[in-house]
Amino acid sequence: MGKLWAWLKIKELRRYPSLAAGVILVFLFVVLSLYAVVSIPYSEAVRLWRGGPGVWDDYPRNAEPVWFDLFTRDQLSRTIVVPFGAGLKTEEPLANGMKRVETLLPFSFEYDTFPVELSMFTLTTEVTNATVSWHTPDGRIITLIEGRRLNRGRTTYYISQDELLKNQLEGMAPHRGLFADPEDRGKPLRGEYQLVVEAELGDADELDAKLVVYGQIHGLGGTDHNKRDLMVALLWGAPVGLMFGILAAIGAQVSTFVLAGVGTWLGGKIDRVFQWVTQVNLILPVLPILIMIGHFYSRSIWTMLGLVIALNVFSAAMLTYRSMFLQLKESAYIEAAQAYGAGDARIIFRYLLPKLAPTLLPQFVLVVPSFVFLEATLSVLGLGDPILPTWGKIINDAYTQGALYKGLYYWIVQPAALLMLMGVGFALIGFSLDRIFNPRLRTV
Amino acid sequence: MGKTFARLGRYALFRAAFLLLAVVVALYLTVIIANMGGEMDRVRKAEIRFAVGQMVYQDPANRGLPASELERQVEELMQFEYRRLGLDKPFFPDRSLRYLWQALSLRFGRAEFMNSDAGSKQVRSILLERLPSTLVLFATAELILFLLALFVALFLSRRYGSVLDRAIVALAPSSAAPGWFYGIFLILIFAAALRVLPWGGMVSLPPPKEPLDYALSLMRHMILPVSAIVIGAIFASIYSWRTFFLIYSSEDYVELAKAKGLSSQAVERRYILRPTLPPIITTFLLTVITMWMGQIVLEYVFKWPGIGQLYFQATSVGDTPVIVGVIVLYGYLLAASVYVLDFVYAIVDPRVRVGVGGR
Amino acid sequence: MSARTEKSPKRAGASARFQGPLLRVEELCLHFHASYGVVRAVEGVDFELARGQTVAVLGESGCGKTSLARAILRLLPRNIARYSGKVFLEGTDIMKLSEERFRHDIRWNKISMVSQSAMNSLNPVLKVGYQVAEPLLLNHMGKDQAFERARQVFGIVGVPPAFLDRYAFELSGGMRQRAIIAMALIADPVMVILDEPTSALDVLTQANIMNALKRIKQELNLNFMLITHDIATSSELADEVLCMYAGQLVEHSKAERFYREPLHPYAQKLMASVPTLRVDKKPEFITGQPPSLFNPPEGCRFAPRCHKRFDRCQEEPPLFVHGDETVKCWLYENR
Repeated sequence: MGKLWAWLKIKELRRYPSLAAGVILVFLFVVLSLYAVVSIPYSEAVRLWRGGPGVWDDYPRNAEPVWFDLFTRDQLSRTIVVPFGAGLKTEEPLANGMKRVETLLPFSFEYDTFPVELSMFTLTTEVTNATVSWHTPDGRIITLIEGRRLNRGRTTYYISQDELLKNQLEGMAPHRGLFADPEDRGKPLRGEYQLVVEAELGDADELDAKLVVYGQIHGLGGTDHNKRDLMVALLWGAPVGLMFGILAAIGAQVSTFVLAGVGTWLGGKIDRVFQWVTQVNLILPVLPILIMIGHFYSRSIWTMLGLVIALNVFSAAMLTYRSMFLQLKESAYIEAAQAYGAGDARIIFRYLLPKLAPTLLPQFVLVVPSFVFLEATLSVLGLGDPILPTWGKIINDAYTQGALYKGLYYWIVQPAALLMLMGVGFALIGFSLDRIFNPRLRTV
Repeated sequence: MGKTFARLGRYALFRAAFLLLAVVVALYLTVIIANMGGEMDRVRKAEIRFAVGQMVYQDPANRGLPASELERQVEELMQFEYRRLGLDKPFFPDRSLRYLWQALSLRFGRAEFMNSDAGSKQVRSILLERLPSTLVLFATAELILFLLALFVALFLSRRYGSVLDRAIVALAPSSAAPGWFYGIFLILIFAAALRVLPWGGMVSLPPPKEPLDYALSLMRHMILPVSAIVIGAIFASIYSWRTFFLIYSSEDYVELAKAKGLSSQAVERRYILRPTLPPIITTFLLTVITMWMGQIVLEYVFKWPGIGQLYFQATSVGDTPVIVGVIVLYGYLLAASVYVLDFVYAIVDPRVRVGVGGR
Repeated sequence: MSARTEKSPKRAGASARFQGPLLRVEELCLHFHASYGVVRAVEGVDFELARGQTVAVLGESGCGKTSLARAILRLLPRNIARYSGKVFLEGTDIMKLSEERFRHDIRWNKISMVSQSAMNSLNPVLKVGYQVAEPLLLNHMGKDQAFERARQVFGIVGVPPAFLDRYAFELSGGMRQRAIIAMALIADPVMVILDEPTSALDVLTQANIMNALKRIKQELNLNFMLITHDIATSSELADEVLCMYAGQLVEHSKAERFYREPLHPYAQKLMASVPTLRVDKKPEFITGQPPSLFNPPEGCRFAPRCHKRFDRCQEEPPLFVHGDETVKCWLYENR
């Protein structure tokens, strides 16, 4: 039997390039899932995706993926972070026991497009007033704020949203105006910049500053409206989708198969009841009910999985299997088994089910994509698991944030393409297996 | 001929009864699920409170009475109503059956938050207002899908192994993705990038007054959603039906038909197409049911003002009566689809009519 | 009951026109492609049939009998490799006719077929009467006339006319087979090819069908070509016998001669293997397997298993004429 399998597979594989393609695709997704789970453990993924203060501060909003840079002649701007402690500090003691602290944050800007945002973060141990100035590569000094009060602890100065500064820069938004080349205001000036923070502090106090110049592109997948690196969800969508799809397929299809066998064999009332339940299930509006439950009760992915399986056990596949089992029921070797006194359970599980198990395989593989997409559907409608990062979730965010209007196509296309590829991978395998295992098709 | 009608009639009746029973069970399940958290009770009680409140506060005999007195009256009447309507009875079976009956007879009461465009708060009006939009879109798409797939599948079955045939076989897995998925891409290409077709909605705003303009606007807005629905199902359908045709064209009676001297068109029509229609209809029914489910998301993506989008809106605001109403409507729609296709099946396959109730 | 007493004008006219043999087949070849090579299903078959004769085509499974029928009726599979030879029906080479003409003139109107497994020969979704009348409707006969004729042939085969209005699944196996035979007769053909007409039926029904065929043969004076591996029952109907082996015609004799004392060694062994009712004999068997039609051996194809082979048999024998018979065996050379 094993040898037959091996022989079958090699010979058939060559005749079915689509089968090979499907297997490769699915394999790649399995690898991707493993990578995702290993490189970003579950709790970490949830934490990252939940976001919140401090998690994505240094990431730009709605940034495009870095590989966009390959397609443009210009060097698209990337994020530059001058972190705490990286600045040059000079201290000057003052007469009144205070000291004047000057923190210099230098950075090099070598891009052809403007940054999309500019923010400064300060960390002080005591309340103080600070003056912040901007030094351009061509020697100009622009005062950003003068004598602004800084609270104890952490303060954020959203430079790019400073209206007064904007007026100062002839109406140009600060993250552009501060970088604009005076000779060609449409392009940024490349070179060495410095942000200087001056403040008066008590002798025992400290002040530190951090500058973030948010770039246009970031990460392999870009970022979303909450500054989250899309790679987290793009990676994690794979294991979630795979798990959901496969578990649902196993739960539903296998149950359907077994129940069909049991029902067909035992016949009579049980068979009729099963058939009838299948008919009812057919007209039960599954998705609306799932949505309703997701809305009223719980959206956790395990609840959904359980429900999806429960609602798909008595699916139409039951009728297909039933007709196959009916034919098998009449065959001679079943009769022989009965003759030697085999009990119902034995006949079902030792003879009927194993005989038709090969036809289960293509059906099983073919149904995985529909479950993967079901999970995506629920997520797109906003009813996905609230804490898990999934592809459907990305699409939901993108759609509700009007990604298409804003031209942020990558936001939708990336997760959609991944969904498509995963679905197609399984479908390719399923269709090929169907052609291999379906005896009627061979005579054609 | 009369015998055929009689048989068909009997079959139609039996199937109707059967499906109705199935709808009842499906809706009962819905009622149970909907009320697992006490939602339906809450809604019902709120409705009663509203009705009673109206009555008490607008009763001229009550004018001038202090608020506390009015409230007391409302409370009293509410309790009375509860008892009268059996709301103090247990859920199983009394209340659940009551709700079931309401659901079946399409009495959904008033919406909590939503309105129909005409301003009515009656759930039934809201539903009926949105239903035609969905039907127009859905029916058009399904019709196009069926005819196109049938035609192409038949065409392909004559050209087994040709380039076109192999292309379709290769494209069949594309139906792994549902219609709304392709819808997003279509919007991206045609509305966002090329700007030739509208983003969504049913007609342009403001709606054209002239019937012809309205119809044209409608058709223009239908292009993308209908295309999405069709693309999402067509290749797999063509593939599976063409396979059916291939299998059925090697049947003995096809051989005999050719031997009898029938032209290849006649053979195709009467000896391949006709006998293959039963399994085609069965698989088409499953496709239709899947499409109904996908309709919700599709309407969401295209902002099509049908019951799918209505459902989505209702769940966003938590308007229980509308939610239940839509599900009930869906149940009926699905049952109707099953019924229609069953009926067509019976016309096409004489074997079904003889053994009534069995297949 | 409704026995046809007068000959149809078509046949009366036809017999006035052509006096020679009804059917003459010359060097008929049918090869088709399989995944492992070319299968030579029918190889150089030559024979002649006079009018009104019933010929049984005998041989084992896979010897090419059905392919012969297909070749005569031009029912070719998709994977045809070679189709050549001459088939003269009433003097005209029908191989030369275009597909359209063949379909219109010959198929069903001149030669009709009753195929194996009538179980599946009837379209399940059309009424039986319609299918039976269909060949006439094709010839633009009026609906009423066509159905009247259908009623007539149903009478000939012995099926109650009520069944014209039924569907295939409502008829029993025997009735279905009769309906198929009726369908074959309705256009008044000169020859009917029956391919294993009774192999799928139980013995009683078999006997009934055979009786019906005998009756039809007497009443209508048609040519039957009865293809079967059931030697015993074929003897009831056959006037002549064509014996096939490995795609070739090995003997063509009159029935009395064949069933008692066939000429070809294979035929002899074949008859020896048939149990007889009255004579006490021990059935024999032939050792070995028939050769594959994919790569048949050089020389006489039966030689490896022949109990009478000699050196000459290394070369393929032609069809020798031996009195009224033809035999493909070196034993009958120069006679």
